[in-house]
Amino acid sequence: MKSLLSKKYLLITAALVVLIAAAAFLFKDNRHIDYNADVKPILNKKCISCHGGVKKQGGFSLLFREEALADTKSGKPAIIPGDPDASEMIRRLSLKDEEERMPYKEHPLSENEIDVLRTWIKQGAKWGTHWAYATVEEQEVPKGEKRFFGLLPAKKPEWVRNNVDLFINEKLTEQKLTASPEADKATLLRRASLDITGVPPSEKLAQQFLNDNSVGAYERLVDSLLASPQYGERWTAMWLDMARYSDTKGYERDGYRSIWRYRDWLIQSFNDDKPYNTFLIEQVAGDLLPNPTDAQYIATAFHRNTMTNDEGGTDNEEYRTAAVMDRVNTTWETLMGTTFACVQCHSHPYDPFRHEEYYQFLAFFNNTRDEDTYEDYPVLREYKNEDSVKFEKLSAWLTKHVSKEKKTEIIRFVKTGQPAINSVVCDEFTNSALADTKWLSLRNNGSTRIKHVDLRTKNQLMFRYATGVEGGLWSVHLDSINGPLLTSISLKTTKGWNVATASIPVTDGIHDLWLTYKNPNLKKPEQNGANFSWFYFTQTFPGNDRPGYDSAKQQYVDLISSTQYTSTPILLDGANDLARSSNVFERGNWMVKGNEVKPGVPGSLNSMSSNAPNNRLGLAMWLTDKKNPLVSRTIVNRIWEQLFGHGLAETLEDMGTQGIPPTHQQLLDHLSWQLMYKYNWSLKTLIKEIVLSATYRQTSIASKELIEKDPSNKWYARGPRVRLSAEQLRDQALAVSGLLSPKMFGSSVMPYQPEGIWLTPYNGEKWKISEGEDKYRRAVYTFWKRSAPYPFMMMFDGVARNVCVARRINTNTPLQALVTLNDSSYLDMARNFAYTLKQEGVKDATQQISKGYEQMMYKPISKEKLKALTDLYTQSLNTFNTDKLKACEVIGMDSKHNNPETAALVVVINAMLNLDEWITKN
Amino acid sequence: MTQKELNNQRLAVEAKQKELQFFTRRHFLKESAMGFGALALGSLLGSCGNNMGMASSPVFDAAHPLAPRMPFFPAKARSIIYLHMAGAPSQLELFDYKPELAKLNGQDCPPSLLEGKKFAFIRGVPKMLGPQANFKQHGKSGLWVSDYLPHFSTIVDDVSIIKSVTTDQFNHAPAQLLMHTGSARLGRPSIGSWVTYGLGTENQNLPGFVVLTSGGNNPDAGKSVWGSGFLPSVYQGVQCRSEGDPVLFINDPQGIDRDLRKASIDAINKVNQEQYKEFNDPEILSRISQYEMAYKMQISIPEVMNINDEPEYIREMYGAQPGKGSFANNVLLARKLVEKGVRFVQLFDWGWDTHGTSADGAVDIGLINKCRQVDKAMTALILDLKQRGLLDETLVVWGGEFGRTPMQENRDGKEMPFKGRDHHAEAFSMWMAGGGIKGGTTYGETDEIGYSIASGKTEAFDIQATILNQLGFDHEKFTYEFQGRPFRLTDVSGKVITDILA
Repeated sequence: MKSLLSKKYLLITAALVVLIAAAAFLFKDNRHIDYNADVKPILNKKCISCHGGVKKQGGFSLLFREEALADTKSGKPAIIPGDPDASEMIRRLSLKDEEERMPYKEHPLSENEIDVLRTWIKQGAKWGTHWAYATVEEQEVPKGEKRFFGLLPAKKPEWVRNNVDLFINEKLTEQKLTASPEADKATLLRRASLDITGVPPSEKLAQQFLNDNSVGAYERLVDSLLASPQYGERWTAMWLDMARYSDTKGYERDGYRSIWRYRDWLIQSFNDDKPYNTFLIEQVAGDLLPNPTDAQYIATAFHRNTMTNDEGGTDNEEYRTAAVMDRVNTTWETLMGTTFACVQCHSHPYDPFRHEEYYQFLAFFNNTRDEDTYEDYPVLREYKNEDSVKFEKLSAWLTKHVSKEKKTEIIRFVKTGQPAINSVVCDEFTNSALADTKWLSLRNNGSTRIKHVDLRTKNQLMFRYATGVEGGLWSVHLDSINGPLLTSISLKTTKGWNVATASIPVTDGIHDLWLTYKNPNLKKPEQNGANFSWFYFTQTFPGNDRPGYDSAKQQYVDLISSTQYTSTPILLDGANDLARSSNVFERGNWMVKGNEVKPGVPGSLNSMSSNAPNNRLGLAMWLTDKKNPLVSRTIVNRIWEQLFGHGLAETLEDMGTQGIPPTHQQLLDHLSWQLMYKYNWSLKTLIKEIVLSATYRQTSIASKELIEKDPSNKWYARGPRVRLSAEQLRDQALAVSGLLSPKMFGSSVMPYQPEGIWLTPYNGEKWKISEGEDKYRRAVYTFWKRSAPYPFMMMFDGVARNVCVARRINTNTPLQALVTLNDSSYLDMARNFAYTLKQEGVKDATQQISKGYEQMMYKPISKEKLKALTDLYTQSLNTFNTDKLKACEVIGMDSKHNNPETAALVVVINAMLNLDEWITKN
Repeated sequence: MTQKELNNQRLAVEAKQKELQFFTRRHFLKESAMGFGALALGSLLGSCGNNMGMASSPVFDAAHPLAPRMPFFPAKARSIIYLHMAGAPSQLELFDYKPELAKLNGQDCPPSLLEGKKFAFIRGVPKMLGPQANFKQHGKSGLWVSDYLPHFSTIVDDVSIIKSVTTDQFNHAPAQLLMHTGSARLGRPSIGSWVTYGLGTENQNLPGFVVLTSGGNNPDAGKSVWGSGFLPSVYQGVQCRSEGDPVLFINDPQGIDRDLRKASIDAINKVNQEQYKEFNDPEILSRISQYEMAYKMQISIPEVMNINDEPEYIREMYGAQPGKGSFANNVLLARKLVEKGVRFVQLFDWGWDTHGTSADGAVDIGLINKCRQVDKAMTALILDLKQRGLLDETLVVWGGEFGRTPMQENRDGKEMPFKGRDHHAEAFSMWMAGGGIKGGTTYGETDEIGYSIASGKTEAFDIQATILNQLGFDHEKFTYEFQGRPFRLTDVSGKVITDILA
């Protein structure tokens, strides 16, 4: 019986084994293979470097499905969906012969890897979309702790405050980590203030929060911070890196560029909580919106932060092209978290972007009127003083007396100087040149050509010129140097640049214009006659039968020659004969033009909506379309990074297949979806949601075990602890020492900087320390010179802003210590802080130090820390009592504060402004 | 390098990164368990870098980015002194002797030289301009050098002159960028940053990459020629100055003496240690050690930057005069710096742009003056390094960003008041000495008027590849991941100039 039974069992067992094996076999073939999770990593690692965007060895590429299924060089496809055994790819992977086996001259794929590929082909060789290229979907919020294998309703863990925490909690559970308790109020106060406004809270706000023990105190604090004007300054500081903002032009001379109005636009927009989609549309295409406001024009300066090259002898078209490519790369990297730059030379080796698509995208940007001109044309003029009155009068007169179209045309010219022809487009020079490659310069008997000018209906020529020699006769001929004369003008001498007007006969058609110049007063052939900067073919000022015509016309002429305006470079598209076509550049070389392309977006992403115009505005609409998978994810990831020190996907600049995959993809998608569908693109709402989470509020105090388990805090079992940015560091120190000016907006300022930082060739511009409170403005207002950036910013990991760098990398170096220890600005702050503490009526040094610490950290100082600092005080006081001259040097001989006690306190404050806890967000 | 190799390398780097991350944290924890050996930290970490056995590209480690590291293979040179004559010196008056050009002096430039060519300022048909200097052969090797460089001619047996350097940039800023960053556009790391990223800093009390400028201006490309581009900013060159603070913020504030500064740093570090006890964040330990290093730098930098302590005959040898921001002073400082273990010393001397628009910019006037300013000092550098036994391990590189035309410049198609030459991208000369370079040699040739390269075409990338090679790096494998791909100094080009290696 027993043996029978055992036999029976044996049989059953055997049957079971067979069954399981069969099931396993079936299962093995039937388990669903996911392209992204299972296949793409193998292809990227082992295949794509030879069979991808750059190389298509054997005519086989694995980048796109249709390429992979197409005939290879051998004449047949390498992948036959559904039939792995007939697929050459599988055969070549499985061979023993090293000459034939793939990957060529590399280790063979593992059996498991081949098996994955085999099953994948069997299942139809379906392609998948990388997570970041798939539309953002609404996410199911995790419910919390499962109970009884999910049979009972899940329980929300106690520490959880909002949905952010539920997503975080899920991963913490997976990682067997537990959340940390909430940080103390003092730490939270400082953390939230520095994160949201970039500066410590006002004393009033701080006291309010610290004394408010009722429910919702923290939320009220957050609301106040979000509503404060400093909020806009803090987030603008972040955006300026992305916009590669600078107050100078870039190469060699690196001269001044007036573009600070764009910085102010950012501050205002952040403070107004302008919806992020509008925020982007205005920056990418504000000029193409119907009846754009000045502010919308100024927004487009985002892409006028590209560099221009004033160096003599440079090719203007080369630098114009470089600027356009920079706009493409910046748009992708900062707004879409995708590295697109490699596609300019070849199809993306890893991500689904084709070479041609780069140039289709470039075509959106290639039609702007900027041409590497010295003056950075086109610029928006915001008239000042009496000229703003003139402008208002002219505008009113035009509204009353001329057609709407005509008014728009005139106002546009008065505001933007467009559509003028820049002299840099001249060619065919005889006794003439682009002087210093900037302006057309004609000598005696000189001539040059402007190609392809539409003269239809034009009866007037305006031009900007300068000449110091009497007697010049300037003529414009049609079609050839000896062609019919369009006009001949005696050029009056000028003091500097001048705008002049000449009548021309209406001429039909589009012509090449030949400009000639004669001047008998020029004795030497090499002597310059006249310089020209632009030409504008137009119609005479309209409405000559209307009352007030003469004064309106005078206002018009005056305004065009005005110097009374704030200038900001802007984007403006060229129309008609000023429109450009775009071509592919072979292997990224701008001199080797390939096929012509029309504007378009990559096929692998969302398509443009049918009502979108095929220009930059359409592009902006595409970016901010809720179907665009990248824009919302990129900004959510960036804001998370600003608050936690690293993004949910660490590589802010690359969410593609080569980027580091997100730790919390569902949370990233959840917040992105919320931003678009629930928050109506409000960044303040997004920030509030994150900072109200328990995740954000955790203490950053951690056990050694926790730090060992999660050294970079990527699972968020503790609060963020990150060194402050250069801007936060400076602003915070100015604020606590009582020096920070609350003044907002305006042209950039020059705080203290050591001598000899600016030594730019051919440039007389000087760093001139600003007067009064402008010395103590927030860092976001500090003048930025690309060739010699403000040293403090660079020491603390600022980027030079030549091209956009999407992520600053924090370092920790002795040179940083030298700045905060020895920079005169820091001493200045320490002195001021010490004086305030003394004035507050606290006599005893120990109390002064404690009080100072509390003003910095909002909590009492520990015994040990206080001892270290009071010991320093005692030693300093001894030194200064022995050597009073040293105290004088610290304070200043004539100062009323000049005494050893104050000097000793200054030394202590100087040390306190260097404490790790002070330069770190705890 | 193929995409496959790039890719494999990237993977190797990733693996290494993970390993290092683990290693670093463990190391820190161990370190903290032993108590705070803040000062010991630097040297301990140094050995930690060595243990990694760099077979592949280095990995950025934010906790101690400047810890010394080993190169890929044994290096010939330990340090580099790179002398850049900003503005582009005329090879035709210095090293590239062209008697045929003298015969053509004053004649119209043949159209064949102008067709399809672009120049910065030459327009129309310029005249040929013969060499303005007299040339002679020197040394055992018989190298040709002009009488503009009487001192330098005495050391030709120690140098290798490359006569066939070429570039595709004929404007200063982009050409300087190409020379030093491998790209004519702004945004890439400079060669000194790459080297510092690869090798760290040997002497933790001094920066690893020091920049000295003379001639009154920064180079045309601005500080980007010693910037760190997309590498972390810790690798940018540290500008040392002969006037003002030798390094920004190195001097204690007035009234705060060394003892007080020491006391301050002690107090700061005590408080920071308290902070560490509470937070256990290794970043705090790193900050403690950075403050200790800062204190030491405050002593060592002013020391090394002081040339008064050099004997009179050494100062005389260089033509150095304390207190001036001169090239001679900078060259002497360069020697002192490499002696103390600084890896890369980069000098820029401004004012070599001889267009002929003024006497200063004339190849027969201003250029002679510029040569006088550098000749003695650069010669002294070679001799001094040699007498100290340092020449073998110090690679000295000299050059500009491009050359000058064999034609006389006729700016805007006009005759010029002085004899000048326009920018010429096609051919120019550089020289190298020491650090494993074969002395007394020339490499490459130009055609008989010095217009084009006849043999041995050498690009900026080749110079860079050679420098990296002497430091122990394979320029094709030395990469940093940025914008989705591994970047390298030499981009997709570059070959080591093996003919000039000893």
